[in-house]
Amino acid sequence: MSWWEVCIVAVFAVLPILIAGDTCLSPSVKPKVYTTTDASVAVNTVIVIEFSVTCKNGIKDLNLYAELNGHAIPASKIKDSNSFQVSFSSLHKDTPAGNYEVRFFDEEGYSALRKAQRSGDNAKSVASLFAVPVTHPGASHGILVQTEFVAAVVATLVWYIAHSARGKLQSNNH
Amino acid sequence: MAGKKLTREEELLLEDFSRNVSTKSNALFYGNAFIISAIPIWLFWRIHQMEPLESAILFGIVTVISTWLVAYAYRNVKFFLKHKIALKRGEAVSREVMKKVADDKKMSKQEKEERILWKKNEVADYEATTFSIFYNNALYLMLVIIISFYLLRSFSPMVYPFCCNYIGSVGSAGGLLALFSTSTPKN
Repeated sequence: MSWWEVCIVAVFAVLPILIAGDTCLSPSVKPKVYTTTDASVAVNTVIVIEFSVTCKNGIKDLNLYAELNGHAIPASKIKDSNSFQVSFSSLHKDTPAGNYEVRFFDEEGYSALRKAQRSGDNAKSVASLFAVPVTHPGASHGILVQTEFVAAVVATLVWYIAHSARGKLQSNNH
Repeated sequence: MAGKKLTREEELLLEDFSRNVSTKSNALFYGNAFIISAIPIWLFWRIHQMEPLESAILFGIVTVISTWLVAYAYRNVKFFLKHKIALKRGEAVSREVMKKVADDKKMSKQEKEERILWKKNEVADYEATTFSIFYNNALYLMLVIIISFYLLRSFSPMVYPFCCNYIGSVGSAGGLLALFSTSTPKN
């Protein structure tokens, strides 16, 4: 084998390593979080996270997976951008008010997570790429008494005071 | 003799207590009636989501009608109250005026009495005017809220026809106010 043949083999051998999905190094994430707060309109509580990721090592085609309370789903990538969107939906009672953490994994991390889940290991110990904190204020059915009822009660009360004052003025007792 | 005098005083007072109100009082009534009639526009604009520009003509017409009705109610309630207030406050007013003019030796008895009468009229007029405005405003706002939110709940301004709740609630609140104001007080 001549020296240039050795070079070509070496290049081909190194090439996959160079172009393979490298892990995203120190990702900077800009998340926007939405959670359902109005239980009278919505049937389920939804947590929607929209975020953009920039990797320090400039990786563009990331495939990300999100995990919340043991449920892992792929994050949808918004076309021609480094932005993603992911949403979780559950019953109101299953998602009470509180702080949650949605963890994100790349391909490698996701397979490690699935493996841990299958084997019954602690899935929390699998290192995530990054996590987005979610503060859910809780979905409420709104105020117990309607505002117009309060307004009507106050208006009636004021009128009652006025009416009794009128009665006093019109009475014959001096 | 005192009783006779009182009836003469009362007659004089009653002459002054006609339904015709002074221009100043009228301006006060119409100004207040306009403000209170325009308040429901805010309710229908911000709470019932009626577009103010689209309904400007409707708002204008109904507000003018309501202003007239509310001012009519103010006048009526004032008329009924003024006499009663004059009787109620009469004693205190004459005592106070007498205290002021007691030392004035030059003033004749008739002049003093006239002064008392004039003061009585002024006090009663002022109290009846302000109380009438307060009473009618309270009743009007209560009627508007109850009619628009409860009685005409199914005529929501968000569904066609959009105008009915506004016309119905403001119109009937003004109408009822005018009607109630004509009722003679029970004695």
